[in-house]
Amino acid sequence: MSYYDIDAILTDAEKLPCTFQIDVPDLGYLDNAPTQTLRAGAKVALPLWLAEMLAVANDDQGKSFVNFDLPRALGNDVIQALKADPRAVPLRDQSAHFFGLATRMMDLLAEEQELGSVLRKTFVTRATEIALHARKVGGGGKAAGGDDGASNLGVGGAGEEFLRGLDETERKLFRKAHEGAKAAKEWMENVKKH
Amino acid sequence: MPLYGDLGNKLVQHAKRTQNLIHLPPYQAELVRAVAREVRDLDRDLKSILEPFQGSFDPTADQATACTLLVNHLSMRRNKRCLLAYHRTRADKLEELVWSGADVLDLAGQQTAGGANGVMGANDGGASSLSPQEEDYVRQYGDLLAAYKGQWTDIDLTGSLEPPRDLFIDVRVLKDAGEIQTEYGAINLTRNSQFYVRQGDVERLISQGYLQKLG
Repeated sequence: MSYYDIDAILTDAEKLPCTFQIDVPDLGYLDNAPTQTLRAGAKVALPLWLAEMLAVANDDQGKSFVNFDLPRALGNDVIQALKADPRAVPLRDQSAHFFGLATRMMDLLAEEQELGSVLRKTFVTRATEIALHARKVGGGGKAAGGDDGASNLGVGGAGEEFLRGLDETERKLFRKAHEGAKAAKEWMENVKKH
Repeated sequence: MPLYGDLGNKLVQHAKRTQNLIHLPPYQAELVRAVAREVRDLDRDLKSILEPFQGSFDPTADQATACTLLVNHLSMRRNKRCLLAYHRTRADKLEELVWSGADVLDLAGQQTAGGANGVMGANDGGASSLSPQEEDYVRQYGDLLAAYKGQWTDIDLTGSLEPPRDLFIDVRVLKDAGEIQTEYGAINLTRNSQFYVRQGDVERLISQGYLQKLG
């Protein structure tokens, strides 16, 4: 993860549910009340770049400024659904940077072994599916020219629903797999011609 | 209520979009200024919070203030990262344009509609959307590249990597390019005319979008 990595920066903006552990008079604006003191116990959604450091910083008794919970994208509902069938969950609806977020959370919560293994299995299962779709797509003509990252993946048919639910990491994977298959095909045709 | 760092995030979303475009979208001068302003505001807040302590602030004695300062500091650092990443993304793109031979500065000011010339990834439009600093950067980077290339006169470092099939090709002129000198005499490139020329003579013009390769 590079300092300049755009996706890493956007992942850092994902919000975590946080609970403040101390009263802070000047931070009321974080809870939509600029004029009031932010009380200990207040629940505020903070971006990862803020939550992480506030949670890590602590006083001599080891008490930190905030405690954070798992984001909803990694909540029990989603994890249960992923356990049932990783391919059936549109991850993008949970977070556009689902795996980026998941990786960051696992760095912070190394003790969540079970969560980690569910996520790993999810990634592997879906990656296989992605590779399958990437080979099929655009087999006929040229794939839709501009991959503007938003939607233009030039997909049709049954896989559409699944592909729409890919998060950023998976989209990159899809694009790479697709380009690879296309380039290999072009090369083969070239070899035959000459 | 907008939080500190929200504007920076917007800037990075612009950068994200830029990564997937062929041309360079307009420079977000307004947004960049707003983010820089936010950093200055935060810095001023920070100074005024610290002032009464006369440089002897003890974080363990005053948790609440320490927390406020940390939030302030992190917000500034976040904004810095967003600003740098935005500009770096654009600078990368500009270098790419210079290497691909797009006449970035020539295009400045004139909004060319995206051309139909897919040859060698020709680039149109967008150049008019540089900030003054970026224009400067492109100019100097171009000079640097020219000086570097100048060391080898018999090889074109920015030439096409594809080995040519034929020495000669058919081209159509998309924009008036004036007269060029070739081994076989001068050719006057007027719009919509068609020529059979040596590929090496016109490669540059193709990549700049003056000519279109046929067939």
